Amino acid sequence: MRVIANHALCQGHARCEDLCPEVFATDAVEGKVVIADPNVPEALEAKVRLAVRNCPEGALRVARSQEED
Amino acid sequence: MTLHFQPPPPDHVPAARMVDFDFFHIPEGVADPAEIWHDLVRRGVPRIFYTPRNGGHWVFLDYADIVEAYRDYSVFSTCQTPIPPIEPFPVMQPQGVDPPAHNVFRRLLAPMFTPIAVRAMTDELHRRAASLIEPIARRGECDFITEFAERYPTGTFLHLFGLPEDRIDEFLALAKVFFRSTDPAARAANIVEIYAVLEALFREKERNPGTDIATAIVTARDDAGRQHAWEDILNCGFLLFVAGLDTVTNTMAYVWRYLATNPAAQAHFRDRLDDPDAFLRASEELMRINAVSNLYRRVAHDCEFRGVTLRRNDRVILPNTVANRDPRVFRDPDTIDLDRAVNVHVTFGVGPHRCIGSLLAKREIMVSLQEWLRRIPGFELAPDQPPGSVFGGSVMGFTGLKLRWTVPPQ
Repeated sequence: MRVIANHALCQGHARCEDLCPEVFATDAVEGKVVIADPNVPEALEAKVRLAVRNCPEGALRVARSQEED
Repeated sequence: MTLHFQPPPPDHVPAARMVDFDFFHIPEGVADPAEIWHDLVRRGVPRIFYTPRNGGHWVFLDYADIVEAYRDYSVFSTCQTPIPPIEPFPVMQPQGVDPPAHNVFRRLLAPMFTPIAVRAMTDELHRRAASLIEPIARRGECDFITEFAERYPTGTFLHLFGLPEDRIDEFLALAKVFFRSTDPAARAANIVEIYAVLEALFREKERNPGTDIATAIVTARDDAGRQHAWEDILNCGFLLFVAGLDTVTNTMAYVWRYLATNPAAQAHFRDRLDDPDAFLRASEELMRINAVSNLYRRVAHDCEFRGVTLRRNDRVILPNTVANRDPRVFRDPDTIDLDRAVNVHVTFGVGPHRCIGSLLAKREIMVSLQEWLRRIPGFELAPDQPPGSVFGGSVMGFTGLKLRWTVPPQ
């Protein structure tokens, strides 16, 4: 599973980082989402899905591993 | 209250969408000012309606419409929005400016309110909360608003602005008039006074720069290498004063009142002091059910929205507390579920004007709750609450909240 962020929609609520800091961070300038590695380990899939569902801007989505960004 | 200015209804509003609703007026006996909003939903009024009160304005009740209004600044501007209308109104930077011009001050402030910046402040926030709560804890009772909920965010504001602690009473007094006075002359004089304080502050930081927000604002340079317009600098300071104090104070008042009347919820937080994930999840639910802000927008041009005719300069109110209980978005919206897993509340707004201080505000509230629960046992409302202590408006809340608890023997 991959997780993809739309930076045009992200407004820096940081709910994703709160819920799954293993995958999501935020930058020091705007506080927007940073995903170091979009490939989500299986053990974190449930946490990432929950983070995606908690984004108030709908700025995150999950994709199949082979899908292009 | 004298805020019931009622012009004739404009001719583009159909009779079926007219509702007589005054969001400043809390009827006697209503203990929670948010209930006047939830009552609209229970009465089944149109989900987009117009009230002639307070100069006349629209109200949106659906989560989807409120979110759309937050995002679509081409229709729903944040510039010149006061309800009742006051023109001209200071253009607060960056809140009162639509993108793309909004981005200038938004980008200037953003680094100081990121998760990284707030984490760096957290120890200081704990220290400040503990030092206020320790003496209160020994007394077994307090007026929560004046002794904590006003002092804590105001002290934090002074710290962030590089101002000395001993000016707290001066700032508390300025804020009290600004947020609570209904006397137009007192309000006008108060705004002049706030701007004079900001003027002196920014001039001082220009001469003696520090590591604070005021210094960052006054020493910032635009793309051409020039200082920002002095008026914008003052208006940015004004925004942070307006936005960072009363909102946090009243959210805290709501939260502590809820906990004082719900021993099970108190125990839920107490039992999770060492479980940050669960504590945060429960805190997000407190944010959902205690959304104190009703935001204003101004229609930028004549248009149709969801089949409703809107006219340029129509005012719109977006009540976050109603959005946060929309059954199409929240499962069992009226149930307070401190383990709610999916919680896309809009307490801090969404879109480009999302409350820039939301992460700091949330951290202030969580830190305060942690320090409070570590020092104060089960607490409840004191039996002698001050009468008539609720108010409506853009920020809803309480003017008095007396709490009491049993001080354990030393």
